[in-house]
Amino acid sequence: MRAYLDPGAAVVSVAVAMVVGVYVVAVIDGTAGRLAAGAGRSDLGAVLLDPLRTVALLLTQRRRRTERADAPGWALAPGLLGGLAATGLAVVPVGPGTAVADPSTGFVVFATAIAFVMIAVFLHGWSPNSLFPLIGAYRYGAQALSLQIPFLLAMLATALPAESLAVMDIVEAQADLWNVVRQPLGLPLYLMVGVGVSFWGPLNLPDGADLIGGTSAEDAGTDRLAWELARAAMLFSIAAMGAAAFLGGWWGPLLPGPVWMALKTLFLLVVMVSSRHLVARVRIEPFVVACWAVFIPLALVNIFVSGALLL
Amino acid sequence: MNRSLTVDVLFWCFAAGSVLTGYLVFRTDSMVRAAFWLLASFVGVGAILVLLAAEFLGVVLILMMAGEMLIMAVVMVMFMMNPAGLNPMFMVHQHRFAVAAGVVSFAGLSAVALTVDFPDQPVDPAVDATAELGFELLGDSMLVFQTAGVALLATMIGAIALASRNGRFGTADEGSLEPALDIEELESP
Repeated sequence: MRAYLDPGAAVVSVAVAMVVGVYVVAVIDGTAGRLAAGAGRSDLGAVLLDPLRTVALLLTQRRRRTERADAPGWALAPGLLGGLAATGLAVVPVGPGTAVADPSTGFVVFATAIAFVMIAVFLHGWSPNSLFPLIGAYRYGAQALSLQIPFLLAMLATALPAESLAVMDIVEAQADLWNVVRQPLGLPLYLMVGVGVSFWGPLNLPDGADLIGGTSAEDAGTDRLAWELARAAMLFSIAAMGAAAFLGGWWGPLLPGPVWMALKTLFLLVVMVSSRHLVARVRIEPFVVACWAVFIPLALVNIFVSGALLL
Repeated sequence: MNRSLTVDVLFWCFAAGSVLTGYLVFRTDSMVRAAFWLLASFVGVGAILVLLAAEFLGVVLILMMAGEMLIMAVVMVMFMMNPAGLNPMFMVHQHRFAVAAGVVSFAGLSAVALTVDFPDQPVDPAVDATAELGFELLGDSMLVFQTAGVALLATMIGAIALASRNGRFGTADEGSLEPALDIEELESP
């Protein structure tokens, strides 16, 4: 039997991890924003308190309602996105034999959570019955359908050396050589797609400023808070899986496994979150073309090379 | 609560949920909502497969349905001249035929469910069903699955060729006209 926590303990540990992860995302974002703007690091207190201030502001702000909106869908979308982040996080092991859940299909469960993100974003843009959110929703449809295949292929390559779809086995197989070395194409592809899946920074096309906020154009108050929290949780979940699948998870000298796991997740989070302040936003058309014409072939090359090396 | 009771309760929840959401597909008045209800119905079926220890099949069913339902919603909205999918509309057409087809398929499936002697073979928890499935797919059943795979690939290529903007006689939005058949007259020497 594989490792599983009790339902109660599982919910609590995933919830705690998500709260910490979301706060870390907000702090990294604030720090990177200040550094990119040349504001210096002197105001550490402001960096640490700003996320809480934003939460307090959004909690007191009035919600907005549109005409003939699909209220259940609107309320469901952030919950669905957050739930998907939690599902993805649950299958990531933090130490040898330590995971919330370690199904033999852990990789597929994670991929399913990523695939459902497009349902959540589409629902979020479609339900307010408003123009810009709707355009954002369709835009994300194009973006996500193009992202899915390179994402699946980049992840699938990591299952080859492990000869298993269980994430625990994938980490176990990286004892002598991390996948980031074994498959140099994998991690860059995964991070690019990860930024796109959580529509962050350069790939924030559905909620972009050119659409006046896109799918969240009509969000205010708790609606916006829930959506932003869920999106940050998704980033955290993707970073944690990237650390497990490509950076060797808990493997590392001296420090205990979970600490290594946390450090590697933090590193990937810094890379992904700071991209918002360092990389210009791309347009959807060249991005979709790049996905189909460049990233899918690259991901296939990655799989073929890793397969050939194993034979 | 013991394990088998939990599984039974979950099974009935997912089964009832699938039937209810499947019914709502036809009772809603919007194509996008219909696609999402259908997705919910399939997720219930996928969860039942997971309960049956066919973990991989169940999760992959759920994975595939996410993309398929989104494509379906987009295509339906494209063809229906209702860009938002928010305008109310009937989801049921050809009522008599639909009722007859529904009654016949219900009777057929019920007859199968009541008459067939279903096997009772609990899966040994020590068996890794995912690995077994992999050996089956790339072992004895390889020919079947590869044939189906190649057929699906050919369908996809055909669909892309049909939907492509670039045709043999120019782009689709510029008419894509076949050249005229009249033969250029040669100048007499």
